[in-house]
Amino acid sequence: MDIISQLQEQLNEMSMLAVNTFGTLQRDAPPDRLSTSYPDPLNPNPNPKPEEDAKPQVQGQPGAAPAQAPGAPPQAQAQQPAPPQPPALDLAEQPKAMSHALVLAAKKFDALVAALPLSSEEDQLKRIEGLQAENEVVGLELQKQLEAAELELKQVEVLFNEATDNCINLKKPD
Amino acid sequence: MAMSASSAYPPPPPFYQLYMDYEQASSAPEPPLPIDGTYTIFGSERQINEVLPSLKSLGFRQLYPKDSNIDFKKELSIVNRELQLHILELVDILVERPSQYARRVEDISLIFQNLHHLLNSLRPHQARATLIHMLESQIHRRQQAIEDIKLRRDEAQKMLGESLLVLDGSQTN
Repeated sequence: MDIISQLQEQLNEMSMLAVNTFGTLQRDAPPDRLSTSYPDPLNPNPNPKPEEDAKPQVQGQPGAAPAQAPGAPPQAQAQQPAPPQPPALDLAEQPKAMSHALVLAAKKFDALVAALPLSSEEDQLKRIEGLQAENEVVGLELQKQLEAAELELKQVEVLFNEATDNCINLKKPD
Repeated sequence: MAMSASSAYPPPPPFYQLYMDYEQASSAPEPPLPIDGTYTIFGSERQINEVLPSLKSLGFRQLYPKDSNIDFKKELSIVNRELQLHILELVDILVERPSQYARRVEDISLIFQNLHHLLNSLRPHQARATLIHMLESQIHRRQQAIEDIKLRRDEAQKMLGESLLVLDGSQTN
């Protein structure tokens, strides 16, 4: 693909990565904890507080989860760290991976821009004029050679016909 | 299948009679002249010299300086940096003041418009570069053909001389 189309594709790729990053983070963001008197929404509680906040400000929450229920039996305590584990990994790893991809895409765009073979318009037009003149000269030369070759071909054909006629006439019938 | 007395196939279109006299004179019609101005294609009218509309005419603000000679590489990298900064700004806004996302999203889309406009402005340059490449390859092919023809003519001359010697030799025998 030519480099400008590659640049356009890279631009589309960057925009796709950006909107996917925002969309994924907004979709997967856990609700924010308004106050310590409310139950921690990251825990598997029957009535988690629904929130509309976008960013996961609650990176510290999985660490605070085990401290939330002081009178809870050790069984529930052991259960608490286990379920939040899978979302915690995603919450930490996903933004890193997505921002890494975004930065890589931006770097690739810059690399493609640096690889652009640019020259000024006047230089290009001058080169085109020079090439056209050279093309004319070479074309005339080619035509001359072609005409000479066709002439020689006709001459050879005439000679060939003469030679074969002579061969046929001189050959004694058996 | 009914076999009729007349031919079962339709006759050829009558245009073939226009191309009959090749050896004597070309009775074929002239090719149509190239059109100028506007032409209609798929129901809509388009120009022969289609010019990229400026960002202003499309209603977008132009972020890079308006100049007759733009340094495309520099402007593209500058606007790319702007894009990254705006994405980070959007992230910050969503964290702190989520209700004010609209302005930032508009800015980001404006940046993308500018980037695409810059890339589209590079297309005429690419067209000229393609033309240069085509001319160069045509010149190269013609020179190859000239070399080829010269070679063959020399070979033919040599063979002709050799055959003359052979014929003379057989004649004297």
